This record gives sequence, structure tokens and C-alpha cells, in this order.
Amino acid sequence: MSAPPITTAAAPSWRNRLRYQMRLTLREPTTVIGVLMALLFAYLIVVPILSILMDSATVQFGDDRRTKAELGSVTLYYLTRTFTSAVARDLFWVPLRNTLMVAGGAIAISMVVGGILGWLIARTDMFGRRWFATALIVPYMLPAWTFALAWTTLFKNRTVGGQQGWFEAIGLTPPDWLAYGQFPITVILALHYTPFVILLFGSALRRFDSQLEDSARILGASGATVARQVILPLMRPALMSAVVLIFAKCLGEFGVPYVLGLPVKFDVLATSLYRSIGSRQTGVAGVLAGAIMLIGVIAILVDAYLAREARRFVTVGSKGSMNRASRLKGWRLPATGFAGLIFAASVAMPILTLFLSTVMRMPANFAWSNFTLDYWIGWDLPTVAMRTGILFSPDLWRAAFNTIWIVGSASICSGLLGILTGYIVVRSPYRPLSVFLRQVTFMPYLVPGIAFAAAYLSLFAVQRGPVPALYGTYAILILALMADQMPYASRAGISAMMQLGKDPEEAAQVVGAGWLRRMTWVVIPIQKGSLVTGILLPFISGIKGLSLFVILAVPATDVLTTFSLRLVDYHYTQAANAVVLIIAGLAYVGTLTAQKLTKTNLAEGLGS
Amino acid sequence: MPDIILRNVQKNYGAGSPNAVADLDLHIGDGEFMCLLGPSGCGKTTTLRMIAGLENLSGGEISVGGRVVDSIPQGIFVGPEKRGMGLVFQSYALWPHLTIERNTDFGLRLRKVPKAERESRVNTVMKALDIEKYRDRYPSQLSGGQQQRVALARMLAVNPGVLLLDEPLSNLDARLRLEMRAELKRIHAAFKTTIVFVTHDQWEAMTLATTIAVMNEGTLQQRGTPNDIYERPANRFVAEFVGSPPINIIELAASGSDPLERAARDYLRARLGAAADLGSVGIRPEALMLALDDAPVPPGHFRHGASVTAVLPTGGSWIIEVNCAGRVIFLTTTESPTLQGGEIVTLHARPAALHVFDSHQNRLAGVDDALARVA
Repeated sequence: MSAPPITTAAAPSWRNRLRYQMRLTLREPTTVIGVLMALLFAYLIVVPILSILMDSATVQFGDDRRTKAELGSVTLYYLTRTFTSAVARDLFWVPLRNTLMVAGGAIAISMVVGGILGWLIARTDMFGRRWFATALIVPYMLPAWTFALAWTTLFKNRTVGGQQGWFEAIGLTPPDWLAYGQFPITVILALHYTPFVILLFGSALRRFDSQLEDSARILGASGATVARQVILPLMRPALMSAVVLIFAKCLGEFGVPYVLGLPVKFDVLATSLYRSIGSRQTGVAGVLAGAIMLIGVIAILVDAYLAREARRFVTVGSKGSMNRASRLKGWRLPATGFAGLIFAASVAMPILTLFLSTVMRMPANFAWSNFTLDYWIGWDLPTVAMRTGILFSPDLWRAAFNTIWIVGSASICSGLLGILTGYIVVRSPYRPLSVFLRQVTFMPYLVPGIAFAAAYLSLFAVQRGPVPALYGTYAILILALMADQMPYASRAGISAMMQLGKDPEEAAQVVGAGWLRRMTWVVIPIQKGSLVTGILLPFISGIKGLSLFVILAVPATDVLTTFSLRLVDYHYTQAANAVVLIIAGLAYVGTLTAQKLTKTNLAEGLGS
Repeated sequence: MPDIILRNVQKNYGAGSPNAVADLDLHIGDGEFMCLLGPSGCGKTTTLRMIAGLENLSGGEISVGGRVVDSIPQGIFVGPEKRGMGLVFQSYALWPHLTIERNTDFGLRLRKVPKAERESRVNTVMKALDIEKYRDRYPSQLSGGQQQRVALARMLAVNPGVLLLDEPLSNLDARLRLEMRAELKRIHAAFKTTIVFVTHDQWEAMTLATTIAVMNEGTLQQRGTPNDIYERPANRFVAEFVGSPPINIIELAASGSDPLERAARDYLRARLGAAADLGSVGIRPEALMLALDDAPVPPGHFRHGASVTAVLPTGGSWIIEVNCAGRVIFLTTTESPTLQGGEIVTLHARPAALHVFDSHQNRLAGVDDALARVA
């Protein structure tokens, strides 16, 4: 050994060890920013949820006499009221049963229809396979209650005032069960979530290793046996996961039951919660929101468990996974007809109905003279309200402006925070910090939008410490939307940062770039693409979002969705339908643009 | 150019986890071309990253050019951006959003070097590495070898006192690797930089380095010139790790009844005395010679009978596999052997070619002198 003599360093004192640690921690702002963000998210996500849960167990304003306890003291009043009192049936149990029945029905129908379509698209020689692959996904890009409005336009009967439905107008009065309540809600949710099944099931089928199928064939199994004994068992995890996700989404669904359930008092949990808030029963709202969250959490946990189980089935990516088509022979035409029928029912009919309803004076009168563009671009109309076409209405433009402004700023914030979260989660030397950030940003995913909005209302409706009452301001909408979008934004950020790896940044560090330089010269420019996606995706889902806004928006802060809902409430059918068409158009064009920009199939990512 | 001194350096990832680097003392001299050589997971890359400042220490200190840059006893940590080093990553880590020119002048722009000087500096480096013609391309449009040169140019542009290379040649094909090795030697001569080079490839270490530090399981095994490492391995690990085909090891543990082991033990006992702590002996394949049955074996050589099992030509040299009392032994020769399978031969080796290790697997103290004397 030819090394020069080396002095052995003295054992370091704990003080110097600490000094060394401090120096490391403070040298880079990563930790400081991470701590600040952790605090921010704790306040924006955890505190509202805690706040509404506390509401459910403490005496609320105005309830002190009923509960015979002081304002703010702990009480079981709301729990017993929601679960065991005389009104519990109407408040909770019936809505719960309705929710479960609607969700169950929607899941059953969408599984059957979506399963068949997914198979037809992925593995057969049906006519127009490619076209259907895109066309049948469209319902998922549009807000679900677009279809609810189309449904009322067609089937509305005299139970409710306002303009008649088309069938009523031609003298065929639809019965209540067809016009409102469980049946239409189930059908509409089923049609809305069918694309979800097509996507999940289709992609699982496409990646399916056909060698597994071939092996069974060679051993003498018939096509039906192969399907029953090989394909379906292996697909079960994907199918189960679709079931759970659709269930979770149905749970928070507000718009469809609101439009179609209200006339016959068909309440689901989401509308019951909305009513409780509307009638200022804050404590009961807290209990209901808690119940919805709990069911949502259970659903997601079941999904996570299933996903872990699914990993035992290795069906992905081998050279045998060729996309070989089954020959339908005589069934080719009927199969194409079926797909066409579903397309007509889930896309063409609703959109056409909505559009026609906005250019016709009287419903279902197809005489040329009955057509008009007044509802779009009319001026000085002889009506009591809405005296201009919708495009000339200042309310529309204000709502459109609000939508862009609110959804836009929330999306930009959550996109940036998402990248930053990703950066800190991946880079922070402190594991607890990165674990906390990852989990806290994921939390809103477990909470259906309507419950989350209720939580925001609970926290920000009154002044708390230095934070003023935010109800009725833009701020509460932006904050709530931002927090609601964090699961998607942070996941995108984390995966982008994982893919980037440490090396490019360390290379910059070695040649002398400090933290800020590395962020602005290296990290953000490289992540430009995922940043754009991380902003665009939440933007699209925010534009068509309803459940969050319906609780937090007031007329002054109306966005397009709540504006159209208000028009529905006032029975301005044409105007409401026109606004919904505008939203659907924006969402559709936005999705296509994002798809073009990122060269990926974004329909899969539009999980909200 | 600065030298680098590591004192008692330790690294573990989290309390309780095993040491990635344990008590490492290493001096890297000014202008030296030092290779850190060892199997994967031996801590060599961690050591390099600690020198760069990309990993912090768990104990000990590092100083560069007389200045302490990282020290737990003194509570000092100088960030990588302030150490004035260059580091070429195994993955190259070129910035995908910048052209080759912008990749190369990144560091100069950071330092706000005036435009004229920046351009002349970039031109010099690009010319030296023959990447001028790609200056407007993006990294994804370049081949692996070209990217590798850009990664090098990017670091050389800022004229670092120390250049660190983390297995930079491992992703290149054989021919390019040879070219780049020559390139690195040229750069070392031209820029007079202190270079620390991490590799698991002993060939690379042998051909490039002025000094090699062999590491295993986080500890330094031996530091020396390539010749030292090969000719006088400090322990059995170094002897076995360096050399291809690998060194033939014969165990000398007293209980063994294997004829070859007994012969080697008796041979060494006769020369080193009965008290010598014999663990094993290694003989490099090229140090072993063959004598056909009637040919004379020089007196004093270690010898043993064997039968040829296979002759493997490698182009210009041959690897011969023999069976020596039931054990497989390899030897190499550059003379065309006229042997056939099954032929009976005598293996023999000069006493000075025997690497004797004690029961702790370290080179037996004084063994070289002793064996030289008896020869």
C-alpha cells in the first residue's frame, strides 16, 4: 500500500453531527418547500375533512334547544337522527338503498354491454371496429347529466311543470317510472360508465396472451369452453376493478339523480346530502358526508386489494399477445348493429335531442315553421325572462368566464403543485415527509366530490382565525377544486419525476447549478409535456364537474355547470340544454386536443 | 490540480443497514488516473458520488486540494455545485431538451462566462472530442458513443480540477470502448486533470489507470499500480478478481487430502518452514508451464502431473484446460500447443510465480523474499 500516512479523524461530537445534518437539510430548499407543502395540503385536505366530521358530533348553530345542549358541545344527536330517528328512513336508509340499487343496476348493465362491446372491439372482425373504438368512448368524455337532460327532454311528463317532453307533446304520456327515478337514472349511469368497461376490459383482452388460449384449443377445448374456463377467470381482476370503480363513481354522482330523481322524491345519498346542506342541517350533512366517505374509502380499499390480487395473474406483455380477431361469420352484421344501437342510444340520440330542443319552439313538432335559432342568437324575445338567445346572454358569458378563470387557475395551481409534489416525494431525503405528501394528496380521491365540497363548506363558511369566511368567493371554489384535483396532479407529477431519474439534475448540480437554476433550466423544461397534461386533464374534468360547484357556488360565482342547473331549476329548458351542449362541446374538444398533444389515449385518464 | 483525501469515510443508508462503504482511507494524488475497481455492489460508485458531493457521509471526512469539503467531525458540507468537479454518468444524463451545443456550454453559461470566451472554449472541447458536427442536434439523435463524448465535453468545458467517471464505457460496444479508452488517456495527458474512474471491468482498469484501488464489500482491498495489483495481489480477493481466465487457487488447509493440495503444501512447507500460516496458493494461468513426459523441468519449480482435457484457441493465444488429480486447472500460452486431449503432462511453475495467502486470506508476509531466495 503506497498511500501517504492518514491521520485518523477524531470521533465526531453529537453537536457536530447535528450541525452536519442541519447543513445538509438547509442547503437545499427541497425540505423546506416540502414541509410548507405538507402544511398547505394538511390545511386544504385534512382539516376540511376533520372539520365536517367534527360537525357531525358537535351541536350546531340553532340546534341547541333541540339537542338540549350548548352550542359546540359533543352530541350524538346527529348520528341518532341520521341513523335511528323517525326521519332516518328518509334521510339515510332510503337514499342508501336507492344509491345501492342504482349503482348495482348501472354496474350490471354496463358490465354486460361494455363487456360485449369490449370484446367485439378488441378481438373480433366486426365492421367499423376502429371507428367504434373511439365513438363508443364519447359518452365518457361528456358530463353524465347531459344525458339526464336529454332524457327529460324526451320523456318528461305532466308530473312536473314547464315545457312538455316530446312524448307527452305527441300525446303519449310516459309513466312516472319511465320519466323519473330509478329506471332512467340507472340506464343513464349505465350508458355513461359503459365506455369505462370497454376501455378496461378491452385493453385487458388486447394484452391477453393468446398462447394461453391456443394451449386450451390444442387440448381440445371449444371456443365457449375457452371463454368460460380460461379467458373469463383471467379477466376477473380487471372486471372486479371496473365494478368497484364504477360503484365509487356512482356514489358521488349528483347531477343525474338531481335532475331525474327530484320530481318523484327519489333521493340518493348525494342528493340527500345536498338537501341537508340546503336546509342548513349542518350536523346531519356531516354525518351523511362521513357515511359517503366511509363507503368510498371501503370501495377504494377493496379495489386496492383486488389490484394486489390481480398481480398474481400474469397476463401482460409476452410475444404471444398478438391481437388476433375471432371471426363472427353470420353474426358480423348483428354485432355491428348492436354496437351501432348502443352508439345511437348513448351518443347520437341524446346529443341530437338536446340540439333539436334548442332550435324548436314547441317540443316534438317537426314542422319547418317550428324551427328557430332564437334560443341561441335571438334578440328582444317576447318572453318574461331570458329575452335574448343564450349566446347573447351576459349570464352565459359571465359563467363561461368564471369557468375558465376558476377551473383554469385551479388547474394551473394543481398542475404546478403536482410537479412539485412529485419532485419532493421522489427527491426528499426524509421518507416520512415524502410518504405524508404522497398520501395526503391522494386523500381527496377517496372522498366523493359532493362530500368534499360539504367539507369545504363546513370549514370555510365562517371566519376561522385569520382566514375570513370564504363562502361565496372565488377563492373557496379554486381551493376546493385544486385540492380535489391533487390526486391526479400529484400522481402525474410523481410518475414523471420517477421517469426522469436523478441523473440529469445531478449532472447540472455537478457543473455548478444551484436549486433554482436546476428547477428552471433542467427539471421544468424537461417536464414541460407532463406539466401541460397535468394542467389540461384537470381542466377538462373541472369544466364538466358539477358536484363540487353545486354546493360551493353562488349565483355570483356561477360556472357553466351550475348555471345550466339553475336554468333547469327555472325550467328554461332550451337555454339549459344549450349550455349543456356548450359544456359537452368544450369537454369533447378539450379531450381530443389533449389526446393530440400528448399522443396518448386520454379517455382512460379521465377518471372524474 | 488538486488531490483528494478520504479519511475514515463511511456510508450507510439509514441506521441499521449494512455499510455501503466502511472506514475507507484513500489518497488520490494530484494528476493521478485512479480506477476504483470491484464487483457490483462493492461501494465504488457510492465512493465516487461521495467525492462529488451527491451523497453525504455517514462518518469521516473528505478533502480536496487541502480544503475540507465534507466532514462530520467538523460539521462541514460543501455542495456538489461548489466543488468544481466534473462527473460523467453511466447513463450519460444529457439534458434531453437542450442541443449538443447548449448541453456543452451549460456550465459556462451558469458561470456567466463572456460570450466570446464561452464560444472559443466550447469549440476547443467539441473539436477535441470530435462532436462539432452535431452541435445543433438533440441528444436523442445521437448514438451511444456520441452521447458519451458529449457527456465528457459538457464536463470538460468548465475545466474541472477533478473528473469523475462512473462506468462511462459500459454501454458502448467493444470497438467504441477501445476508442474511448484511448480518448480518455489522451484527455488525461492533455488536460492534466485528476481522474477518478469507476469500473467493474479489470481490463479497463488495467489499461487506463495509473493507480488502481480494488474494493470489495465497502472496504479497500488494495491500492497500487496496475502491475502491483496483478503481480502482488494483497489478498486472495484481489488475486481472484483480477485476471482472466481467473487465477488457479489451491487450498492449503492442513486437513485436505487432495493430492494436488498435499503436493503444494509439502512444497511450500519445505521452503517456508513448518510454522508458516498457509491458507491457499494461487498460480496465474500464464505462469503455469507444461512439460511433456520426457521434457526436463527446471529444478526448484513446483510440479505436478496432469492430463489435458481441452485446448481452446482464442486467436493468438490458447487456453488449456487440464485435469490435475481430479481438479480443473486452466493455463494460457501464446505458443501454439501441439497437444491432444488425454495427453499426460507435467505442470510446473517458478517459485516466484506462487501467490501464497495465509489463513486470513492475506498475502503471506515475507513470502516473496523467501520464495525468491529459494529460487
